[in-house]
Amino acid sequence: MATPSTFRQYKTLLVKDVRQEFRTKEMLTSMGIYALLVLIVYGAALAQTSNQLDILQMSGGLLWALIVFTSLLGLNRSFFAEKEQGCIEGILLAPLDRSVLFLAKATSNLLFLIIIEVIAVPLFWFFFLTTTTPAETFPLMVVPLIVGTIGVAGVGTLLSTITMNTRGKDVMLAVLFIPLIFPLLYACVSATTAVLVGGDTALNTFMLSLVLAAGYDIIMVLLSWVLYDFVISA
Amino acid sequence: MEYAIEARKLSKSFGGRKALSEVSFSLPEGAFLSVFGHNGAGKTTLLRILATLARPTGGSAKILGYDLKEEAENIRSHIGLISHAPMLYPDLTAEENLLLYANLYGVENPEARVKELLKAVELKTRRMDTVRGFSRGMKQRLSIARALIHNPELVFLDEPYSGLDPHAVEIFDGLIQNAREGRTFVMVSHDLAKGFALCTHALVLSRGNVVVFEEKDKLDFEAFQATYSKTVGLGVL
Repeated sequence: MATPSTFRQYKTLLVKDVRQEFRTKEMLTSMGIYALLVLIVYGAALAQTSNQLDILQMSGGLLWALIVFTSLLGLNRSFFAEKEQGCIEGILLAPLDRSVLFLAKATSNLLFLIIIEVIAVPLFWFFFLTTTTPAETFPLMVVPLIVGTIGVAGVGTLLSTITMNTRGKDVMLAVLFIPLIFPLLYACVSATTAVLVGGDTALNTFMLSLVLAAGYDIIMVLLSWVLYDFVISA
Repeated sequence: MEYAIEARKLSKSFGGRKALSEVSFSLPEGAFLSVFGHNGAGKTTLLRILATLARPTGGSAKILGYDLKEEAENIRSHIGLISHAPMLYPDLTAEENLLLYANLYGVENPEARVKELLKAVELKTRRMDTVRGFSRGMKQRLSIARALIHNPELVFLDEPYSGLDPHAVEIFDGLIQNAREGRTFVMVSHDLAKGFALCTHALVLSRGNVVVFEEKDKLDFEAFQATYSKTVGLGVL
């Protein structure tokens, strides 16, 4: 038997997650429906506000609240298949570095979150931003979306592993996840709002926030990667 | 004599509760060890430690010559585990499940190995069906194929018969019998008669302690059963 290559193991686990999700669509459907429902709730909540309300100033925050809550739903389900019929033990029995499992799971979570964002962000735009005029810098909002989603997927994968075997894991994940990603959330809201609203200092704010978000990603994803062996073996 | 397992004072505690207390035994290569004991005796804990799924809180062990604590990844390349949970992804097909494990273990020519094993467990015609639609017996047969995909030298069986109908038990027995050549087996079981019939060595655990560890040839079943009932405190059979 040949020594299994780390990349082959990573690819195998990633393909397994993607194949399984595209076959069942459990995570994507639940996240998609939830995102749509949040948009409807936003619509109802903002329907009675006066015309003086500047939706553009709030849009970054609203969009990121949508992303964070939708992500929580998906992350809660990300180890569902592994728990069912003891598959996680089957994987842990294989001669594989635990960090490979983390990387594969974080990548699949990132992929599924991006798919949802590709659907949810245009819908958000259609519902709330068609009556306003965003700044010309608005295409740059893609950057904080990607950087933020990387952090959400990385930290979320670690935390969903920790909460996988706990009672009340849905609540537990939210309780751990939201305080931990607060700096990332703050930076991403700031960067997104800056490029949507524009103004003289917009690009400065955008860059500063992006550096903070990217720094958070590097530190937290590396930390998650290093801690994963301990977490999954506990 | 070469030993497949050499356990020295293995202990495991969960908080203040001792699940295993200084368990020591040596199992020769090619042997079949049946582990008996009441619920909570520490059978599954022992098996999980030997299979590198749990860490001991004390003691040491060598599995196939590798140190349990230091060389867990090497051990994993040479062991297989069949438990009552099939460890198969229900929404993947039988073939996809086996290919997944074959690739994780770095099996050469995985497609050919998967084909060979699906034929051996009589699931070749169902290879493209998702596991969710399989009966308990079919899942267990596929689980044997999963555990043997990398041709392990040591196979752990954790109550593999639970939930199987008599026909499935018959097929399962046949598969295990065919796989015995050149392999060491460790089976955890509640079924004293079945476990005794299969084994070359028997180990009885009671409250985390080894009560009996002996070659089967040195035991007669009646005496063993009596000892078991007395020490374990259950009227088994």
